[in-house]
Amino acid sequence: MSVSLERGIQTLKEHIDAPVASFFTTCVHCGMCADACLFYTETKDPKYTPIYKLKPLRRLWHQEYTFWGKLAAKLGFSKPLTAEELKEWEPLVYDSCTMCGRCSMTCPVGNDIVYMIRKMREGMVAAGFAPEGLKSATERAITIGSPMGVKFPALKNQIKHVEADIGLKIPVDVRGAEYMALLSSMEIMNFPEYIGAIAKIFDQADIRWTLASDAFEATNSGIQIGSSDLAAELVERVVAAAERLKVNYVISPECGHAYTALRWEGPNLIGRPYPFKVIHILELLDQLRSQDKLPVTGKIKERLTFHDPCQIVRRGGVIEEPRRLLEMVAEDFAEMEDHGIMNWCCGGGGGVSTNERAATLKLTAFNRKRHQLEALGVNTLVTVCANCRITLEEGLEFNNMDVAVLGLAETLAEHLAEQSPAPTTTQTH
Amino acid sequence: MTKAKTLIEHLEQQGISRRGFLKFCALTTSMMALPPSMAPGVARALETARRPSLIWLSFQECTGCTESLTRSHSPTLENIIFNYLSLDYHHTLQAASGEAAEQARETAMKENHGQYLVAVDGSIPVKDGGVYSTIAGISNLEMLQQTVEGAAAVVAIGTCAAFGGLPRAHPNPTGAVPVQELVRDKPVVNVSGCPPIPVVISGVLAHYLTFGRIPDLDDYGRPLSFFGTSIHDRCYRRPYYNKGLFAETFDDEGARKGWCLYKLGCKGPTTYNACATVKWNQGTSFPIQAGHGCFGCSEPDFWDAGGFYQPLSAGIGSVGGVAAVAVAAGAGAGIAAGLAQQSQRKHAQLQHEKVTVADLKESES
Repeated sequence: MSVSLERGIQTLKEHIDAPVASFFTTCVHCGMCADACLFYTETKDPKYTPIYKLKPLRRLWHQEYTFWGKLAAKLGFSKPLTAEELKEWEPLVYDSCTMCGRCSMTCPVGNDIVYMIRKMREGMVAAGFAPEGLKSATERAITIGSPMGVKFPALKNQIKHVEADIGLKIPVDVRGAEYMALLSSMEIMNFPEYIGAIAKIFDQADIRWTLASDAFEATNSGIQIGSSDLAAELVERVVAAAERLKVNYVISPECGHAYTALRWEGPNLIGRPYPFKVIHILELLDQLRSQDKLPVTGKIKERLTFHDPCQIVRRGGVIEEPRRLLEMVAEDFAEMEDHGIMNWCCGGGGGVSTNERAATLKLTAFNRKRHQLEALGVNTLVTVCANCRITLEEGLEFNNMDVAVLGLAETLAEHLAEQSPAPTTTQTH
Repeated sequence: MTKAKTLIEHLEQQGISRRGFLKFCALTTSMMALPPSMAPGVARALETARRPSLIWLSFQECTGCTESLTRSHSPTLENIIFNYLSLDYHHTLQAASGEAAEQARETAMKENHGQYLVAVDGSIPVKDGGVYSTIAGISNLEMLQQTVEGAAAVVAIGTCAAFGGLPRAHPNPTGAVPVQELVRDKPVVNVSGCPPIPVVISGVLAHYLTFGRIPDLDDYGRPLSFFGTSIHDRCYRRPYYNKGLFAETFDDEGARKGWCLYKLGCKGPTTYNACATVKWNQGTSFPIQAGHGCFGCSEPDFWDAGGFYQPLSAGIGSVGGVAAVAVAAGAGAGIAAGLAQQSQRKHAQLQHEKVTVADLKESES
């Protein structure tokens, strides 16, 4: 069957579960979610009120699953959903929502609004109303293996450079390793220093790890576009590789949605438990820190701050780890006004950065971060998500702001105290 | 007789100064939530008031209410003002007994027809013709009906008279009912509490003497000025409640530090009375200050409203028959609707068509 309004409605009906029904029932129309959303605060346009972005879903729920709604629909008092309506809502559901989840935190009756946006997107995909950028990225992820079209030879090439750079071998397809590391294609193409950083840290801490040639990509475009079917397929690839290499842990990289996809949605998507554990790179680094396996030397003198990636901090619960790690290498660490679980999104999450149509809106939304940075007056910003990083860099450049953006893992690697050279360290080329 | 004497004369005789009297008027005025400017008016009215007749009927009761009034503050103004009323009939306090006693009641009723006040403490048994409590061969029910007939107003003193109290508690073997269920054609003031605070009794009487009518009442017929706010809202331990600091047992650190007794079953949040402000024993203390939660004795059905030590948030158990049926029917309808909707959703899931890359391609423009 091809994409159609009927299929979209069918999919939405399938995804209206008990939580969705209770959320719509208990919504008190207070509008507090508006002030939690950076797309509203930076534009003051009421259409960006988070709960309003769900209006079609709400109508469908009312018509299909409530007594009065059914009656009204039967008597012709409420019109059925139309394709035009879904098309009209497409920019609201995709362009103006990074699925950062800040609205869910402020809802006074505890409604998880972002949970419903995720479900709304399921129906939008099935009805054929997803942004072009996200559609093509997802296609590439499924057919090529990476949303940016990165194939293993490209990674192999980067590995070669990294190995030459740090003088360590990057293990690939090592069976029986303890950890399997994943990367985001953003890291492979734009921030390959991440690979070198974890290699150096792991070498020093004696961690047996590997990359998988057939599943190195952690990004899950299926989650961003909102299709469980496609997301499950991408998760399956990682699970298959981890099973093949018999690893005990899979490391989620410095990427937000990768963590959500793998750690929280993954087992539900594929319908079975993992035979391994998913750990975020920050959790692992913090473990090493607590075991004194992460010796660092020297501190950054400059005042710096930390940008919390929504999916890792607010939605992921990795809150104190980056702060403990940062304290090791920062002399003057200052927090932004809203930080931790109430942080403000960079503006590019949830597929927004992949969606060219949303480029202008994304830069408008960035003003929130700009004000935060200006209020603090810092010139260095550390973060732990490659997508946040690219979005922040774009925003800073657009606003001519002189702020350097650093990844936490590589910052730690730079300050790694050199121990006596390990005997296993050999040049391979 | 002292009938011609005014209150102020009576008080002077008792050795109470005019200053003491005015202080009482000011206190009573503020307790009744009247503006301070009314104090002189209250004083003037009380000074010149003539002794009204009061007939006190004791039914299914324990005399605790009388004890509360006559003993706790003695000899204070509440007591004096009570003396000032012509108490023509009261089992515990009158000297006469037997037929002479009943005669006193009948005489007072005849002489002051339409003018006298009736105070009732105790509930009235009505089952089996009211045979469970009789005085001089007259059932309580009959005595109440006879006496109230010529009364100006009725004051139900104590929770038994106001709401039925202990005699009415489940299973209520005597068919006890409160005054307000039997007296419909006269004003009834409920001064509830087990026992009621003395100043509340005297305050109501003073109000009647001053204004010639009963004070404003709440939905339960209680004087608003005394029963307008909950114990909880006026409790000195309220700040601990607001901070979430609770005593968990009567002997833990929280109990010693004087934290909120909510979790130990304090009924302060649902009890309306003046204990937390007026206090007992001449303003010395009240139960919560003594380390025990409020029982809620001034509320209707307090004996049947769950255990004294059961926190308010815990349910009180059984619901009535009709309510149970309604709840079951509602739950049934809810479950049926839920199942129908679940099957609707299941149906949608069964029809699920896997989203593929081809679908994405197709919708690309």
